[in-house]
Amino acid sequence: MTEQNVVTNKGMVRAEFNFWVGKYMDKFYDNLENKKIVGNKCPKCSDVFVPPRQVCGKCNETIPLEQNWVDLTDTGTLKNYTITKWKITERGSRKVKDSIIGMVQIDGSNTAIIYKLLDVDPADVKTGMKVKIEWNDKTKGEPGDIKGFVKA
Amino acid sequence: MGRQVAIASAGFCEHAVRRSDVSMPEMVKEAIDDCLSKVPSVGIEDIDMFVNGNMPAFEGASIPELWMTDWMGARNKPLMRVTTGGTTGGTVAIAGYYSVAAGLPGVDTVLAVAFEQQSQGDTSVGLSSVALGELTAIQSIGMPLQKMKRLVSAGAAIGIAAYQATNYMRKSKITEEDLARVVVQNRRNAAKNWYTHLKMPNVTIEEVLDTPYISYPLRFGMVCPASDGCCAMLFTTEEKAKDMADIPVYVNGVASVANETGIMGYNAGGGGQLDPSEQLGAQRSAELAFDQAGISFPGKEIDYAEVYAPFPNQELMWVEKLGLFETNTAPEMYANGTTAANGEFPINTSGGVNSTNAIGASAMERPAEAALQIMGKAGNQVPKTVHTSLGHGWGGIINLITMMVMADEPKRKFK
Repeated sequence: MTEQNVVTNKGMVRAEFNFWVGKYMDKFYDNLENKKIVGNKCPKCSDVFVPPRQVCGKCNETIPLEQNWVDLTDTGTLKNYTITKWKITERGSRKVKDSIIGMVQIDGSNTAIIYKLLDVDPADVKTGMKVKIEWNDKTKGEPGDIKGFVKA
Repeated sequence: MGRQVAIASAGFCEHAVRRSDVSMPEMVKEAIDDCLSKVPSVGIEDIDMFVNGNMPAFEGASIPELWMTDWMGARNKPLMRVTTGGTTGGTVAIAGYYSVAAGLPGVDTVLAVAFEQQSQGDTSVGLSSVALGELTAIQSIGMPLQKMKRLVSAGAAIGIAAYQATNYMRKSKITEEDLARVVVQNRRNAAKNWYTHLKMPNVTIEEVLDTPYISYPLRFGMVCPASDGCCAMLFTTEEKAKDMADIPVYVNGVASVANETGIMGYNAGGGGQLDPSEQLGAQRSAELAFDQAGISFPGKEIDYAEVYAPFPNQELMWVEKLGLFETNTAPEMYANGTTAANGEFPINTSGGVNSTNAIGASAMERPAEAALQIMGKAGNQVPKTVHTSLGHGWGGIINLITMMVMADEPKRKFK
């Protein structure tokens, strides 16, 4: 038997994907554009979701679109974090400086969102520390409107 | 071994070219809500297990069943994803069937969900996840992909259907007008069904024949649209179905048979066939399903059929190959009104895949519509009483056929 490399695709495949955020996330992003955080509350267990969602899976309860919205602050608690030198788009060829990525529970919510911690020394980072959203100057109604979290 | 399975309900969401108003889980929930609204005594907590499926890679969303777990109500319950290309929906329904038929303790009621939100993704790139198995093998004998694309998969599934069409036309001596007549019946039927995509209540044969060819003999006006949509079916035991539904529908036969690959075959050594309209898979799956259901004369014993026909030549081919009409008589049945909603043997009064094609859902929508016709709850209900019906599915490349035969009486024979 001879071995032969039959397919090597050196070109790029162009594939365009959309992402329909849905009715609930639409409200969330509208609020991000105004530098506001909103969540929604399960009518049964009172858990508050950030980002908001249609169904509380724990209770199998549908949260009505027009009800149970909760205005929240832009402060939260760091629940968990990791420190990495690498960017996801780089294949180990180039090092970047330490960056801290954390799971933050927005005050008044029962869920966590994941963003970078900005201006925090890796030696100082601690689970349980209070953090605050650093907004982008220009917001567009998208996840990148939140630049990251800074020490509160 | 095995136990009788029943369909208690089926539901849909509204289909359209672009359901950008909802996220994928929100769209799926719409069909589940419609399905459960027809069985008021059943709540999401009564469902023991979930089966879920759509085309792989179409939306670029991996493992979508976990994304929508909470939206389905499946948290902390068994959940299985099935995907088999164009027949995904049919296979999801069959998986739901077997999950109940197995008789495992605690698994009596199963919700099967099949969906597609094609507007989110690049369907052609998605199809390559299904078709590339064949195409990469072809490259191994030195034929470049760029050229093969035009030969084999010109316009994706239509490339395969065009070969079926030319073979079928030559053998049965039908005209393009016969093809257009099927389209007109489907699109006019779709206009009477609430959730469908292409509603054309006044379309004419002349208008269809006035559109350009995509791939001879199939014209632009003859091919299915690309839709966003979802279908849900509720399978349960014979006993529980009697409590849940006014008219439970009993699944009496299921089959899933694959035969030749599309045109070139997986190893590019040929598809093992000269005639893509021969359809041994369809013939064999029909034999298996009818045998289980105790049906000897499908043309006489079946009252209603939903066949998976994105292209009109396929509809004519399937109804013959599945044994519903004699060979070479299908075009006549469409011309003389036999297959119309008020005819003797209505076919695809939902509007069919030709009018609505959310690919992953399409092969489930066929048995779902067939069941609703027996229950008397179909969107475009036929006037005659339907006792026995069938839902059929087709998937390209590996010519995979799914069949589900059902009736208002439990007749499944377990040998």
